[in-house]
Amino acid sequence: MDDILNTGNVPYISEASVSVEIETEDMTLNIGPQHPSTHGVLRLVAKVDGEKISSVEPVLGYMHRGYEKLAEVRTYPQITTLVNRIDWVSGFANEIPFIAATEKLMEIEAPERAKHIRLILTEMARIASHFVFNGAYALEIGALTPIFLAMEDRERILDLIESVTGGRFHPNFNRIGGVKPAAGSGPTTKKNVQDLPAGFYQETRDAMEKVLEAVERMEDLVGGNEVFKARTKGVGIISKELAEEYGVSGPILRASGVKFDLRTQTDFLPYDKFEYEIPVGENGDCYDRWYVRLLEMRESAKIILQAIDSMPSGPLQTKVPKVIKVPKGRSYVRTENPKGEMGYYVISEGGLGPYRLKIRTPSFSNISILPVLLEGQLLPDLIAIMGSLDFVLGDVDR
Amino acid sequence: MIDGSQILVTAGIVLAFALNGAVIFTILDVKGASWMQRRPGPLHVGLRGFIFPLAEIIKFFQKEDITPTNVDAPVFKWAPAYVLASVFGLFVVVPISPTLVGSDLELGVFYLLAISSLSTLGVLTAGWSSANKYSLMGGIRAAGQLIAYELPLILSVVGVVIQAETMSLVGIVEKQIEFGLPFALSGQGLAFLIFMIAATAEMMRVPFDMPIGESELVSGFLTEYSGVRFLIFYIAEYMNMFVLCAVASTLFLGGYHVPLLPPEWVNFYGPVVLITKTVLLGFILVLVRWSFPRFREDQLQNLAWKVLIPLSLLNILITSIMKVVF
Amino acid sequence: MNPSSNAEFIESISTRFSNVENEFDTLKIKVKPEEWVETAKILKEEFQLTYFSWLSAIDWENEVSVGDPPKESVSPHFEIVFCLSESIEGNIVLVSTEIEKEDAMIPSLIEVFAGSNWHEREAYEMFGIEFNNHPNLTKMYLPDDYEGNPMLKSFELISREVKPWPGEVDVEGMPENGSKEGN
Repeated sequence: MDDILNTGNVPYISEASVSVEIETEDMTLNIGPQHPSTHGVLRLVAKVDGEKISSVEPVLGYMHRGYEKLAEVRTYPQITTLVNRIDWVSGFANEIPFIAATEKLMEIEAPERAKHIRLILTEMARIASHFVFNGAYALEIGALTPIFLAMEDRERILDLIESVTGGRFHPNFNRIGGVKPAAGSGPTTKKNVQDLPAGFYQETRDAMEKVLEAVERMEDLVGGNEVFKARTKGVGIISKELAEEYGVSGPILRASGVKFDLRTQTDFLPYDKFEYEIPVGENGDCYDRWYVRLLEMRESAKIILQAIDSMPSGPLQTKVPKVIKVPKGRSYVRTENPKGEMGYYVISEGGLGPYRLKIRTPSFSNISILPVLLEGQLLPDLIAIMGSLDFVLGDVDR
Repeated sequence: MIDGSQILVTAGIVLAFALNGAVIFTILDVKGASWMQRRPGPLHVGLRGFIFPLAEIIKFFQKEDITPTNVDAPVFKWAPAYVLASVFGLFVVVPISPTLVGSDLELGVFYLLAISSLSTLGVLTAGWSSANKYSLMGGIRAAGQLIAYELPLILSVVGVVIQAETMSLVGIVEKQIEFGLPFALSGQGLAFLIFMIAATAEMMRVPFDMPIGESELVSGFLTEYSGVRFLIFYIAEYMNMFVLCAVASTLFLGGYHVPLLPPEWVNFYGPVVLITKTVLLGFILVLVRWSFPRFREDQLQNLAWKVLIPLSLLNILITSIMKVVF
Repeated sequence: MNPSSNAEFIESISTRFSNVENEFDTLKIKVKPEEWVETAKILKEEFQLTYFSWLSAIDWENEVSVGDPPKESVSPHFEIVFCLSESIEGNIVLVSTEIEKEDAMIPSLIEVFAGSNWHEREAYEMFGIEFNNHPNLTKMYLPDDYEGNPMLKSFELISREVKPWPGEVDVEGMPENGSKEGN
């Protein structure tokens, strides 16, 4: 044995094999459109070397429904039914900027009470959307329980939305100049319309308590897990500059340390009347993105509780002409959707419908960062990063 | 002296033990899941959810057994059987009582560890023959993971063998009876922990389920399987879980023995005691499975090579020193 | 507080650029196509508008096959708009330019804002506008063999061919009410 080892010139067999660089070809891996964690039908064409990803090319369009074109052949009231379906996880929040832009062009303003109801439902949509994210993200990291708990908790919120609007996902509740009277509360023309269902305030208070509990539980169950931390901390870091350059908005931008929330800048929803924090992350990694959304749920619940307490009375609708014609003009209005900046650029030529409607959706810009972000990552991290961006394909493709 | 009837009886015991184990653990897993996740199905439907596994099995039998076009058909078709056979092999040496044992081999532990690594081959061939990139990656992950965790598994058992001075599983249990305390409470606590972690990785359960990794690899090496062949993998998974828990209870928790009960009745209460201990261990696995996320592949390898293996070597060292000193 | 009601910001934009409009709280700068990339650079560097929101186009056409034509006759052209913002006070500005429909072409913003990549691809696909220096000007949503640019006003919407719009009655009334109902 010693003779073999002491020959001097001959390298050890183990060394010889280590020093050989094996040239391997990259394998093309199609992730999606049918894949459990692409949130529907996103397709990523990834070049992988073993588990390492050398490049990713997202392919969109499997959910393209051409809403911008469809909006051109519809009247303004009809468009709200369309925009509901852009981001189906938070349908109500999609209606707000469109309605606000139209109201701006018509130079009308919704009554205070309608604004409060809009605000409450928007925040409920945010909580519902973040519940879905919280469940689905844990599922993508590999924990199976949180999604069941999150879905059950979300159901309470959806029940509340349903009790007011009559729809769980697609409320179609906003009207230009106000909101529709609540489900089953009679026609608008009659006096003494009961606009919110009986017991709504108390049910909302109970539900918000449950939301706060659920956030607490989620923080324990998911955030307190060492494996979850190991999987998400320091993974998929988005710098502030990169995020802004790609138009990444919402909780993702805030997780990167930018304290920017469009809720502070809206004049058509009375956010300035309430006290709430804007959670901001430090590192811009997956964990921060998860945590910022979790904290946002808490803040949203607080806003709703305050709004319930300070609900003004009054009409639900301002006076609008029977046939809604929007005067010539153009307006861009954006709001803080649960996923980021949602904006509508309405160009009116004075007709029954818009001449052109540009829909700026948060998910589209948010996932445009994927090719940059995923280069050189491992395959399990791809899932973790993709999940942390919390996109909805309807919101990407429109 | 090979007696035909003896073989039949042995095979019968092993089969009954193995299949019942799989059913018990399926029920345990499903009920644990629905309890933790507030799912009404397996808790309330159909005899309080107890016929759920039956429904599951019938469902799989109804499904078409699909062999995709480009797969390596013979390998693809036989891989499940291979996995199942290797799991069955494990049951042979697990003693349900001092006499109720398939075969009390002198080198029981050695046999056990050798056979348990065989299922890797089945998984790898299943992944390879599926002609699917996700399956292939799942198969390779499984191979890498099983190799990494085979070592701590073996090394943690070495401590037990040193302390018991035998490799026979019945001998190890007898030693614990003689000693008065199970090994988990008398010197092999660390080894027990390492064994359970490594066994979880061996079973490919959460948090070590990367080979299946539903959200990443669709279903890993199981992606292309359907119908009965999927069912076989499914049963093998639960059998494997059961047998590894049974082995852990035999090696570390005193197996079929429980204090205060008359030793001459061990043939009657032995199976109950062993299954109870096994189910308790299984319950821990269920809790872990439904509350933990999944590790990343490199984190898993780090855990195996940098933490578990050094710790189990340390355990061997300490056990040997103690053995010499006392 | 409204983003574009920030008087100071509007003031500074108005002094820096010659053609600035502010209607309905939407600040818009009109530039020539030659100044397209330069404007983006100025806004990014001098006004700290580092957040790229979106880019899109508008097809101005008198003869339309969908929707209503413009009220007053326009000269057919493409209007391209991009939107920048900053993330402290939320100042927001739209920049617009007009280009010919024939050989519609404009420099890409990609060297200033990498995020314009997908938005430009979308505009290319939907309107047929070429973006010079774009590294990967391919279809975004539609199949590779799809012909035509769907967002053009001349592009017909098949469903509206079958059932024209707006029409007197867009929603059919309930049977018992006769067909005079409907909004």
